[in-house]
Amino acid sequence: MSIVVVLVSLAAGAYVLAVIERWAVQGHLSLTGPAWAALALLGRESLLARKSDRLFFELGPVLLLVAGLMAVAVIPLAPGLIITDLATGALFLNAALAYVLVALIMAGWGPNGAYAMIAGWRFLGQFIAYAMLIVMPITAVAMRAESLSTVEIVASQAQLWNVLYQPMGFALFVVAAMGLAWLPPLDLPDAAGELAGGVEAEYTGVRLAVLRLARMVIILALAGATVTFYLGGWLGPWLPPWGWSAIKILAVAAAMLSVGRYMPRIREARYLALSWKLGISLALANIFVVGVIALVVPI
Amino acid sequence: MTIAGAHAGAMTGLRRLISGAMARDLTAFVLPGPSVARSMGLDLAGSHLRVVGTPRHASVLIVVGPLPAGLRDAAAVIYAQMPRPRAILALGAGDIAPLPDAHVSAPLTRAGLQSGLADLRRVIAAGAFRADTGEFTAPALEVRVEYTCPMHPEIVRDAPGDCPKCGMTLVPRETASNGHGGHDTPQEDTPSPAGHAHAGHADDAGGEGPYICPMHPEVVSDVPGKCPKCGMFLVTAEEVESHGHGHGDHGQGHGSKAQGAHMHGDPAAGSAQMHHDVPDEAHHGHEGDGDHCGHGEQADHAGHTGHAGHGDHSAAGLDGIEPHFMSMVELTEGQPRSSDGLQMEWIEAPFGPFFPGLPAGLHLNLTLDGDSVAGSEVRSLVGATELVDGPQMTAGDFVERLAAMMPLSPAAYRTLACAAVEEAAGVEPDHNARRGRAAAVERERIASHLGWLAEFGLQSGFLWLAARAGALQLAVGNADIDGIAAQAGAIRRLIRRVEAAPLMRMRLRRIARIGKDAPASGPVDRARGGGADARAGDPTLIALGFEMRVRDGGDALARLRLRCDEIAQSLDLIAAAGRIAVPRLPDVGRVSGEGAARIETPRGAASLSVKLVDGKVVEAELDTPSDVNIALVETVTAQQELGDALSAVASLDLSPWEVRG
Repeated sequence: MSIVVVLVSLAAGAYVLAVIERWAVQGHLSLTGPAWAALALLGRESLLARKSDRLFFELGPVLLLVAGLMAVAVIPLAPGLIITDLATGALFLNAALAYVLVALIMAGWGPNGAYAMIAGWRFLGQFIAYAMLIVMPITAVAMRAESLSTVEIVASQAQLWNVLYQPMGFALFVVAAMGLAWLPPLDLPDAAGELAGGVEAEYTGVRLAVLRLARMVIILALAGATVTFYLGGWLGPWLPPWGWSAIKILAVAAAMLSVGRYMPRIREARYLALSWKLGISLALANIFVVGVIALVVPI
Repeated sequence: MTIAGAHAGAMTGLRRLISGAMARDLTAFVLPGPSVARSMGLDLAGSHLRVVGTPRHASVLIVVGPLPAGLRDAAAVIYAQMPRPRAILALGAGDIAPLPDAHVSAPLTRAGLQSGLADLRRVIAAGAFRADTGEFTAPALEVRVEYTCPMHPEIVRDAPGDCPKCGMTLVPRETASNGHGGHDTPQEDTPSPAGHAHAGHADDAGGEGPYICPMHPEVVSDVPGKCPKCGMFLVTAEEVESHGHGHGDHGQGHGSKAQGAHMHGDPAAGSAQMHHDVPDEAHHGHEGDGDHCGHGEQADHAGHTGHAGHGDHSAAGLDGIEPHFMSMVELTEGQPRSSDGLQMEWIEAPFGPFFPGLPAGLHLNLTLDGDSVAGSEVRSLVGATELVDGPQMTAGDFVERLAAMMPLSPAAYRTLACAAVEEAAGVEPDHNARRGRAAAVERERIASHLGWLAEFGLQSGFLWLAARAGALQLAVGNADIDGIAAQAGAIRRLIRRVEAAPLMRMRLRRIARIGKDAPASGPVDRARGGGADARAGDPTLIALGFEMRVRDGGDALARLRLRCDEIAQSLDLIAAAGRIAVPRLPDVGRVSGEGAARIETPRGAASLSVKLVDGKVVEAELDTPSDVNIALVETVTAQQELGDALSAVASLDLSPWEVRG
């Protein structure tokens, strides 16, 4: 039952997110815009690039969607409203999202075009920047909850949300999550002005629709993870738990989507350098500080 | 009513709904580019259509203004790449062949755009699908199949068979259609795996060359011997080539498999040309029709020539030759090494002439070593047209012609032409006319710099800037003195926000540094702690309070800041002038004489000399800032990461229309 509820909410969330993205990218709000755009995409030719690696080209978007859906499976929307409450949920999330890299490289390689290919490899470089910064803040979250179960992690924040308990971890996780979802200003693999769409450049019609849907699902999964790990999940007064989850996840997703509008894209070399030299040191410091707090003041 | 670019299929109920959706959700690819459209006063962003950066995502091709002849082949390639249903909206475009006829034509005005879009929506809603659809193949993408011997590349036949020399079965390969560009030599475009050197071309390599180390290309000696770094025996260039791909006498012998077409024959003709024309289909240039299941009659042979993209495909492309396991050492042996010493396969990727984030009409061919630029070749595809069109060209026609030739800064070139003609005719404009003209050029400078900011915003993903600066550029475009005053506050706020934007410094600092000795013009020149400004010698502007603005640094950040400074200063100058008047040439009569003028256009100093005989312009010579600055592209892109290289080129603010050399 909960799988149906989660999938329906996911579809609704993806639609709202598409509305927000159009607003962020084009500057005007249209509630029906994404519906028409999706319908139009379905009617357009779905071209197969010449000399493409058909298998990679076809599988890339699908794998991306699967990775996003698997990640969503461990995000709790309310007590009991989760597809599967794995004991290793936080780790599973990370494992599922690892396929984003594989999917993007496949989608980049598949069409046999220089722009897409460079975009795919760019994302490999980006992976090196964000990967550690996803895992290390999760480690600190799990230390406090003394569990990798996402439900337990939400429950552990009943006294104090992790965003206040470990703000540094929150900041690092959000930036890393934006890197994982290649959101501006970390959108190196689809950099509009640099690679003319990058990994998306050769996809048209239905395949493009799948790719865009997958991207929305991944953004929702990451916003859901941020809410679960740092913003107290479904916790909150007055509203029903699912209401809080929905508000928080959409707010985080909207913020992640629109912040890039106000700054130029980061340079790849700087991103890598900052992630490794600064990010990883901060993440280690975060683990240390959380460890000390968890031992000294048990809240 | 249907459109020629309709999707195949009968109009059913669901398809009617989808057609309606397509009519609402127009995605447009703009030719020559959104920046040109804004310069011409078209507000595409406010027209409820989405402007996209790749033809693959576009349903409408909007052609704005007359398309220069040099861009038309590339335009046809863009159209061929669009998925169907697709349509063309031509706004004051005139002849657009080899593009098919525009489905909707309208005049080049804001009203024309609106009515054109409304017509287009009706056409798409009614005719997005139809049972029989026509094929369209861009001439630059036409290919034919020919057969060649894997061992004897000089054997080329039109039909399958055996090699007369060794009896091997000939293998098929694709080549450019000979019809295009009148180019009859078959192109060697089948990529070959390492180890299969193009033996037939090896003898191009010249005689005994200098000896070089196979591992350290920087070690060069005139006599045979050993490498001082690794002790290996030095080899001749010829021996190195035969390990690579036999690039003959090509100076920098790229290691890519994608060399063939570029090496043989004129790169401007035949199949090689398409690589320059395909803006976003790097090495494989598929075309829109042939490969789609359902329209796929040509699936096996239509499409493209030349380069295969990545290694796997190239080996597979040569039927009958098994791609063996390739050792990286063998594979890269003798290939050039980049400065970081990391050996990678080099690819050539064409950017432009319609690449989003680069000036429309500019073609940039980058040799990429991984994602850093190992070499670049830049040129304008717009092409220089003759300044003087026939012996009977009146001075008035000449002024109009020059202004129309430069769509990105018509007022500046109109002023320049007027000034030169007036000097030749001995006419002196009065004080007020001078002030009005100066203000008109300053207004264009504001609009042009705002346009540059919008382009930079688009390229770097700073979408707020792209939208805001683009809107302000449109608002300033033809505004009168009160209009400028009304926008001044918003423009100054934009400038402050641009300079304070997060990540801006990180993005542009130390990018595209230019030393003080390299020739440069305009803001590029003045952003390196000095430089020249043609306005400094103009008494009218000095009376208005002009002082040359300068920034230190010589990098892309300094150029951004200098352009912002100049916008602010131009606002002050316009306010001081009190009037804006686009120059009109007074009737010069049937005078004869010579005159010259020099003014500071938004991109730098342009100078023009004209010779009048009997009131007719018989000779004219023009020097433009982009002609100077385009030479900097190679320097500023060398060894840069791809994104940095594109920022670097953008920071020069080139106008392909100005490039005449």
